[in-house]
Amino acid sequence: MGVIGYGLGVVGAGLGIGLAALGATSSMARQPEMEGRLFTVFILASAFVEALALIGFVVTLIA
Amino acid sequence: MVNPLEKLSEEIDELLKGFESTAMHGDLYGAGVTQYTFWMFVAVILMLVVVFVFKKKQRSHGLVPKGRFVNGIEFLVEYCRDDMCKGLLGDSWRRHFPFIASLFFFILFNNLVGVIPGCKPGTGCIGTTAAVALVSFIYFIVMGVKAKGPIGYIKSLAPAGVSFPMNALVWCIELLSTFLRLVTLAVRLFCNLFAGHVVMGAFAILASLFFIPLLQGFSVQALGMAGASVFWLAILLVIYAVEIMVAAIQAYVFTLLTAVYVQLAEAEEH
Repeated sequence: MGVIGYGLGVVGAGLGIGLAALGATSSMARQPEMEGRLFTVFILASAFVEALALIGFVVTLIA
Repeated sequence: MVNPLEKLSEEIDELLKGFESTAMHGDLYGAGVTQYTFWMFVAVILMLVVVFVFKKKQRSHGLVPKGRFVNGIEFLVEYCRDDMCKGLLGDSWRRHFPFIASLFFFILFNNLVGVIPGCKPGTGCIGTTAAVALVSFIYFIVMGVKAKGPIGYIKSLAPAGVSFPMNALVWCIELLSTFLRLVTLAVRLFCNLFAGHVVMGAFAILASLFFIPLLQGFSVQALGMAGASVFWLAILLVIYAVEIMVAAIQAYVFTLLTAVYVQLAEAEEH
């Protein structure tokens, strides 16, 4: 059951990182000179999203 | 023919037990050294050696950096300075650079030592990451208090320009989120390292379990399983490369977030 729960949780995180990457790539294509700044923001945003998925992973192992 | 997957959950349990803190010296509840603390010391000593060798080499060559080693370390330091400090903190970057850079190098070396097979990451246990997160939490609160005064900092948690009843609610939420920063900083770093190592361990176990039948006796089925084992090994190598990247990115994220929090704590009312 825990594994199914983790799978469900990862759907959200996957969507979140996917959306962040979509936004980052399309804005980099529109404005290549902003690439460095956008990359920083992208890494930050995906770190926030990823933390949720990882909490799910660890809770799955513990519970 | 036994199914190698039957033994998997048992082996994974044993793997997880290996990740628990065990005392190498002394005991777990008093003054003791766990395997994580030991590897943290190793990482710190390695870091000091690298920094001092860098300093010596840099001095002997004059101002122009020469060689891969000096250039590599200089790149990291400059990245830390330009990208994190100057880019985020603005004019006050000079004051915060030593703290930010030492945080970055401490976490980076801990993570990288953990990637070496047989070593453990000092940051792979919640105690270490919680301590590092607590240090950066105290640092940005002290910086906020220094910039605005104690009362000013407490007031500045709620944004100006919000009328009275909403003001109190927003202040409570902001207070909660300030303390949540401490938790998320610690848990993010720990979870990334822990989860990465569990995944690497799981694929290593799969590779070995699928190879065992071939050692016990030659048959077509055993040969097929050995083929699967090579496949697991390939995935393991890919995950290993990803882990090296994660080690750098997590050090970067932790320091970047600390810089963002310092900047938020020091920011003028707007």
